[in-house]
Amino acid sequence: MSALYIIAVGLGSAFVLGMLNERQKNLGYVITLAALTVMSAISAQWLIIFAATGAHPIDIFTAGTQPPFAINLRMGVIESALTLLISLTGLLSAIHMGNALVARGRRAMAVLVIAIMALCGIVLTRDIFNLFVFFELIVIATGGMVLLSDDERAVSAGFKYLIVSQFISVLLLIGIIFAYHATGTLNIDGMAEQGASAFALAFFLMFIAVIAELKPFPANGWALDIYESSHPGFSAIFSAATGTAVLFAVDKLLLIGGAEWFPVASGVGIVTFVGANLLALPQTNDRRLLGYSSIAQTGLILTVLGQQDILGQNYLFIAGGLLLAHAVAKAGLYWLSDLVASRQLTAWAALKERPLLVFAFVTFVAMLCGLPPFPGFYAKWELAHALAAEGRMAMLALILFGALLEAGYLFRWFGYLIKRESDEKVVCSATQAIPVFAAVIAGWVLGFVWGELSVTRFGLNNLLLTLPLLFALSFLLIEWAPAWLKNTVAIGGMVAFFVMTYAEYDPLRLIFAVIFLIGGAITLLASYSAHGRRVGFYPAAMLMYAGMIMLIRTTDSFGFFAAWELLTVGSYFLILRGKESEPHALSYILFSLGGAFLILAGFALAASAVPPAPTFSLANLAALTAPVAPWVFVLLAVGFMTKTAAIGVHIWLPGAHAEAETDVSPMVSGILLKAGLYGLFVLLMAMGKQQLFGIELTHALLWIAALTALLGNLMAIFQEDGKRLLAYSSIGQMGYAVFGLALMNHLGWLMALMFVINHYIYKAMLFLSVGGVAKRTGTRDMYKMGGLITLMPLSFIATLIGIIAVSGVPPLSGFGGRWIFYNAIMTSDVRMPMVILFLAGPIAFLYLFRLIYTIFLGQLKDEFRRVKEAPFWIVLPQMIYVALLMIFAVFPGIALRRVDEYLNQFFPEGGLGWSGNEITSAYGYWNPVSIMIIICVIFGVLLAWLMFVDRKAQKVKQFNIVFSAEAPYRPETTHFAWNFFAPYRKALGFLVLPLATMFWGTITGLLHTGADIARRFYTGNGQTYAFHFLLFVIVAYAIRIGF
Amino acid sequence: MIKRFIALALVVAVGSVFATLLFGYTPDADLNLTARYYAERTAADLGAANIVTAIVVTYRGLDTLGEVTVLFLSASIVGLVLAKGTHAPHRTPVPVGELLTTGTRFLVPLILLLGVYVFVNGHLTPGGGFQGGAIIASGILLLLLADPLKHFSHSLISAIESLAGIFYVMIGLAGLFLAGGFLDNRILPLGTLGNLASAGAIPLIYSLIGLKVGAEFASILAALSETEEL
Amino acid sequence: MAHLAMATGFLLILIGAWGALTNRNLLRMIVAFTIADTGVNLVIIAVGYMRGRTAPIIDGAVSAADAVTRIIDPVPQALVLTAIVIGVGVTALMLAYTYRLFEKKRSLDIRDYTDLKG
Repeated sequence: MSALYIIAVGLGSAFVLGMLNERQKNLGYVITLAALTVMSAISAQWLIIFAATGAHPIDIFTAGTQPPFAINLRMGVIESALTLLISLTGLLSAIHMGNALVARGRRAMAVLVIAIMALCGIVLTRDIFNLFVFFELIVIATGGMVLLSDDERAVSAGFKYLIVSQFISVLLLIGIIFAYHATGTLNIDGMAEQGASAFALAFFLMFIAVIAELKPFPANGWALDIYESSHPGFSAIFSAATGTAVLFAVDKLLLIGGAEWFPVASGVGIVTFVGANLLALPQTNDRRLLGYSSIAQTGLILTVLGQQDILGQNYLFIAGGLLLAHAVAKAGLYWLSDLVASRQLTAWAALKERPLLVFAFVTFVAMLCGLPPFPGFYAKWELAHALAAEGRMAMLALILFGALLEAGYLFRWFGYLIKRESDEKVVCSATQAIPVFAAVIAGWVLGFVWGELSVTRFGLNNLLLTLPLLFALSFLLIEWAPAWLKNTVAIGGMVAFFVMTYAEYDPLRLIFAVIFLIGGAITLLASYSAHGRRVGFYPAAMLMYAGMIMLIRTTDSFGFFAAWELLTVGSYFLILRGKESEPHALSYILFSLGGAFLILAGFALAASAVPPAPTFSLANLAALTAPVAPWVFVLLAVGFMTKTAAIGVHIWLPGAHAEAETDVSPMVSGILLKAGLYGLFVLLMAMGKQQLFGIELTHALLWIAALTALLGNLMAIFQEDGKRLLAYSSIGQMGYAVFGLALMNHLGWLMALMFVINHYIYKAMLFLSVGGVAKRTGTRDMYKMGGLITLMPLSFIATLIGIIAVSGVPPLSGFGGRWIFYNAIMTSDVRMPMVILFLAGPIAFLYLFRLIYTIFLGQLKDEFRRVKEAPFWIVLPQMIYVALLMIFAVFPGIALRRVDEYLNQFFPEGGLGWSGNEITSAYGYWNPVSIMIIICVIFGVLLAWLMFVDRKAQKVKQFNIVFSAEAPYRPETTHFAWNFFAPYRKALGFLVLPLATMFWGTITGLLHTGADIARRFYTGNGQTYAFHFLLFVIVAYAIRIGF
Repeated sequence: MIKRFIALALVVAVGSVFATLLFGYTPDADLNLTARYYAERTAADLGAANIVTAIVVTYRGLDTLGEVTVLFLSASIVGLVLAKGTHAPHRTPVPVGELLTTGTRFLVPLILLLGVYVFVNGHLTPGGGFQGGAIIASGILLLLLADPLKHFSHSLISAIESLAGIFYVMIGLAGLFLAGGFLDNRILPLGTLGNLASAGAIPLIYSLIGLKVGAEFASILAALSETEEL
Repeated sequence: MAHLAMATGFLLILIGAWGALTNRNLLRMIVAFTIADTGVNLVIIAVGYMRGRTAPIIDGAVSAADAVTRIIDPVPQALVLTAIVIGVGVTALMLAYTYRLFEKKRSLDIRDYTDLKG
């Protein structure tokens, strides 16, 4: 069917609707839906034809005359995709608005149908004046749709829109007529052939007028008012359909204008993207926020259009991916907003009770932020690489900054949704639900399509076809099942995957694989203690593990980055589940995404120097040379260190790990941090030592690591909250591991790997232990506990073994790590960082002692006299870990020997000698078995002697002590636990000033203040907006002449 | 004060842009590409004497279709916005001058006749559907001024509007099947240049447009007039 | 001749713009826009005028054969027809809006309609 029928059917049905009388509203509604369906069907039919056959676009003539003497339309693959998008949005909005539309009458329906038809017309036409006519149709139709809102303020919003539109039309018409005079034709392709240099001023007027329709920042005050006050079904159309059509119109104009006008589009686009996202930060009205986000995304796509010169034909892939992701997600979110009665962002907590709606929200937010596996992700990847290849790093930085802002306010909103309370009940009828879920399905399908396209065009990977991700997503299907069943499936799946693939890994990666998969399975044992269904836990956890395992299996930068973002998202959802974790989860995702963007920039920069064939292999990092190499190193290293919580970017960790659920903390602290270490491994293996501005970068790493270790441990000793103490301890331990890596010698790396294993085992164990205690006592504050050794003996044993291992005291594995570490230092020549690191060691003793003393030793408090041991499923993994620690202490060679040999290829010297039970290095030897035997003997002897000497000891009651003629009767007065290290705080407290927190807090504060100042620009006065528009035009003109 | 100053500055700036266009403008010596085509081929291909009409109705017929839709949309929205429904205020009759009443009775039929003449002869003489429809609307306005309480049947106006529109679209589609393309006027015989019954479907289309435009303007005027509280 | 008409058109546009930017009364703004629209239409007409030529109608004065050398450019006239009608449509819409706004707040001052902002 000819594409003309789209226009004919639209118009015909609108006129028929005009003929109906007021009582035939339902008939009118049926006609409306039928018309929109036909328009969608025609578009779909053409899309299938073009996509399947790859045919050229066809021209449709009118009046039996050839262009340019008559108007012609064009239908191609792009046009059909866009008209399908527009018609479907119209159809779904009409379904969504059902009753509201019928109530408003047949004329309202006619307005809707004409609007959709006109938008399709904008996409299809090849005549510039015809474009103007359709634009004016949109202006009037928008004015009409705005009026149909329940919100009284919509009328003034519409009037402001009409004021600015008048100015826009004037400029557009002047531009068109002078362009006609210069070229003698009104046909776009005809004008394009002649080029715009002959009529540059006229072209400028046309161009700027069309761009103004895109609502660029700052000439868009009127647009926000419309988004805020219109019925959400119409706002969905404005955002998804109108934006799409006008963007394509800009594309047509750029055809005429040529390359010299690309910078104008890019400039306006990037200012809009960053500006609108910035202004979105302080918003509290959900529809206004979505309006700012719409404007921002449109600005981003405009920027991509302006970068056509370097993107070539790929600009369609990138712009299309971003456009479709934006349109589907925005329409979906606007439709969702109809289900929430109040306009406050926090009111969306009402959706919490409906898991399907929450899933829809998550899908839309993920699409907008360009997270995998959605189209925006592939688009973002290609865009970053194209920009880096041309050295447009400033543009890339601005885009990533804007994207981070957007992720910030969207995830903050999600936090409100999950964590706040609401009294509202959400009532969702079928007609309101259908469009939302159609959008969700469309989103996932588009993700698959863009994945396939990326494979054929760029040799990337279709993420939706990778087994780990599919496994994680399959948990969405079994969410109805009880938690223990899902847990079993999860554990089984992870172990099975390991068994299937373990032969593929080299010794280094094998260690990580064991920790991620087998270690993950063991920590999941603790999850058996949970009851109910735990909706949302398993998809999130499996997503995180899928990301982690994909991380070590991939060999190219794309796979690495995709895995990184997947594990970030999965862990964010996990952390968010904690009761008080809303701000911490937000902090976590912001730092993680910031780090991820740095990694993206690093990979893009690397690929620009060593062209990918077809993808950039991680091994190619070694092929980089100055001046690019050090910058890539810095970008990637900082990115990885946001995950290991190096000092300065560590402020998210204490809150995130402490507030997470009992079985989540071991996962994120014990396992997730290792992903960052893995990244550093890969980086250092490939790139080795690098210099930037004369600074040896690995030396800088040493300093950072040493400071992290010192300050992490120092901050741990002052914590009252048990889990926070362990969290800071993780920061410190990661500092040690990074130090070992940064030493860049054989033993340093071996030590780092030993840390990876050890830290996982004892940190997971300690978190489970403290978590179990917290479950039974109801608090995490250590000073409230005490004397629990008799009531929770197994937890005590686990903690005891744990702190012995952490402290590095023989006979446990921590000692082995220390031994290797001292050997490693001997062979290196760094002094000061070493001293700092040595200082960190004894400080660790302090907090370890505090941990065990304040919880288990000391005086038992009254309220806890009846606590039981922690639940079985929490104790079981701890006991497994105890056993593992013991085994590893006595036979470290199990894990280390093969790695030691593997490391020989990087550092041929300095390896260890393995003979029987003895391990030798250049400086000494270590025999774990004999150490264990000796210590056990000593311990046994002492224990026996003590028991013999005290065999007649008398049991003494808790309060059977007297001092200063007073007998205490409350445990609190005799249990020294609160502010345990007060003297140290007096002496060393200055070292733990929250400088990093203040720094980051200042930055976010500045952003918010900036946004608050900028938003006063939007006074609400329509006349002022007219001023803004004219000022925008003049400034754009001045800048254009200037260049 | 500052606002005026800024407004002046902006207007001056825009004015300078216009001045650049003005001084860079030189009229053509000969007709350009499209104008030449229209000048040479209209009479032979389309059989219309008024070239502007031929352009409006056939060559750029899609624009006209859009324009007609603009009016339809405006009229609908004005009707939607100003609809009083059953809550029309009670209005008392107001005496208007004798001159106006008599003049109206005399002039309105002539005005309507002129309007019909203009749009029926659109393909031969200056004018056409829009101009004719506007003339008809001015007649309606005169009626309203003479008798502010005059009630126009909204359903009749809607019927005229919609039917005219539907027929217009159908004629356009007929062009797809019976002639060269959408809105091709050669579905009817071209006849001899200069006759009333010539130029194929153009007189038919323009008449429909004339009726439609007249009806729409009437609808807008009636809606606006009914808002007045007397 | 063409320059004079064009200059007048531009002047009208500037007057209309000035009026729309400085008048606070809604109705005056609408009138200002009408003036600006007229100016635009005048400019469009002025483009395409050629000295010494006549209207693009084939009748007794101009025959079909010498139309090419005798008539002015017909395209701007066709365009301006559409532009006028569109202008009318938007003006009607703005008037209807003004009526609704006045109904609610009984004020025609644009500064009273700033309820949505920021």
